[in-house]
Amino acid sequence: MSGIPTHGPLQEAMADCLARHSGRRALVGAEAVTYTELRDRVQAVAGWLREVLPSSQQLSKHMAKPIARHIGFCLGNRPEYVVLYFATLFAGDLPLLLDANFNSGEIGAIQADCGLDALVIERTKVAGLAVEGKAEPVAFADDVVLLPLARQAEPPFRPRPATQACRFTSGTTGRPKCLEFSGEAVVSAARNWVLGTAMTSEDRTLCLAALSNGLAFNTSLLSTFVAGAELHFLKGAPLTRPVARRIAESGITRLVAFPTLYRNFVAPGGPEPATMASLRHAISAGAPLWPDVRDEFRSRYGLDISDYYGIAETGPCTFERDAGYHSGLGQPLPGVEIRIAPGPEDPAIGEVLVRTASMASGYLNHPGLFEERLDADGFYHSGDRGRLVDGRLHLVGRTQDHINVAGRKIDPTEIVAVVSALAGVDDAVAFPDEDLNREALVHLVVVASDGQVTKGAVAEACRSRLAPYKVPGRISFVAEIPRTGIGKPRIALLREQLGASAAS
Amino acid sequence: MDDDDRLAMKKRVQRLVYLAAGGKIREDELAQSDADLRQIGLDSLGYLNLLEGLERTFGVAIDLDQMEDHSFLHTIDNLVRYLAAQRGEAA
Repeated sequence: MSGIPTHGPLQEAMADCLARHSGRRALVGAEAVTYTELRDRVQAVAGWLREVLPSSQQLSKHMAKPIARHIGFCLGNRPEYVVLYFATLFAGDLPLLLDANFNSGEIGAIQADCGLDALVIERTKVAGLAVEGKAEPVAFADDVVLLPLARQAEPPFRPRPATQACRFTSGTTGRPKCLEFSGEAVVSAARNWVLGTAMTSEDRTLCLAALSNGLAFNTSLLSTFVAGAELHFLKGAPLTRPVARRIAESGITRLVAFPTLYRNFVAPGGPEPATMASLRHAISAGAPLWPDVRDEFRSRYGLDISDYYGIAETGPCTFERDAGYHSGLGQPLPGVEIRIAPGPEDPAIGEVLVRTASMASGYLNHPGLFEERLDADGFYHSGDRGRLVDGRLHLVGRTQDHINVAGRKIDPTEIVAVVSALAGVDDAVAFPDEDLNREALVHLVVVASDGQVTKGAVAEACRSRLAPYKVPGRISFVAEIPRTGIGKPRIALLREQLGASAAS
Repeated sequence: MDDDDRLAMKKRVQRLVYLAAGGKIREDELAQSDADLRQIGLDSLGYLNLLEGLERTFGVAIDLDQMEDHSFLHTIDNLVRYLAAQRGEAA
């Protein structure tokens, strides 16, 4: 394909897809875009990016060595996201895919650690964004702008030369951790997903999970185009009625979504099975899927939800290829090896270790942290406990103390520190629990012997000092927190006591 | 719609909000019907549940991307006003 410069494996792979599937439909939002049209748009937008932003040489003039322009994507799914992402790559820039819900503090931390030369963001969010060096936004689409950010001092960390995409994990202290991926790793993830899940050019994927999330990034963004398939987006909130309507109207074959949506599908009043007739694969990730939702979905829609297992640092890990197999998280995908580190009680159950062809290269802003979690053979310590049964991965719990809420990791000690600082609080502990809808939440248990501290005061302290997703969903008061001889809270016993008091 | 209808609707909306948030909103906060739901614990998943609940309970189709102003979702009072207006239009 002439005209589009290529700078690495990712651009080469995409240029090949765009040329190979030229007449077919590639992207479908409010309108459909063919591979040929996508190629033309990507090319035009790459040129536009070169014009509207200072060049990397200009930006790097104070630096000993130039650094590529860093373009942050802080945007919900839409066709423009895909066009801009590939245009960024073809312009020779580095895309950093931020969670669209990151707040100014988190975006500012990324800017300070990694450097951000521009942000792709919704126009309505620009005014409320408090980051350094905001320039005049440049219109891209009706509701999307490119917001140039003046480059501050040289960023303290410089990406590896092979890095072609960055994604983020939440980090426990409000500083998102930036994962670097080489072009080879991104291309491998896409090709292995296509191979392992038998995606073909007849597939039409409706992607409802955020493209900045590993699930959508790896199962939809490049893999769809590798297969010559169609990538569909839905405008508006992912409610079951519009989702089902879209599936029926567009003949969607793959749905990429998250557990809450599937639960809403099987709740009373959910869409009729006939509307879902074209669907061949329903993929869930972000949080564990409830087994009864999987069972009800199968009995209502005749389709097994594949509870994909992936890790931000390694990419996709498993997929169930056998439609008749109903337990576990599936078999390792091509390019994925899974080992179980023998546990103390049962050697068959232990930490899940993963090595893939799509591994991250490291954390840009936490040098050495990723490498620490690799064993001598290059297997990544997932922090999950599990076992392999019949070649399928089954998880049994976590080995780490972090609380996972909607895919974001929360360090309970950060919450305890905020609450312990309140006058009248004698002791506190935070641990994972579930709300009435069985969604994960942080349960904070407080001891306040003088009786002056109220739930409202504790909640207010948390809301004013913690990011919204870290605010405990449940607060309980007890007379004493049971602890072991070395002072470790006995969470199982505490849960039992609280369960008993709630029931009484 | 008289006051009794409006009160009954408010109770149903409060119940829906409570369920949508998975019980994470305290009773005293729920009783303040002008409180901003986003401030008292309704997160994005909670809103998704709430919108599903509103559609299924009241039979209204809510297309957020067709609407400029989303403030009808911000408080229980606003939700009741919105639903009452929808009912008025349908009648």
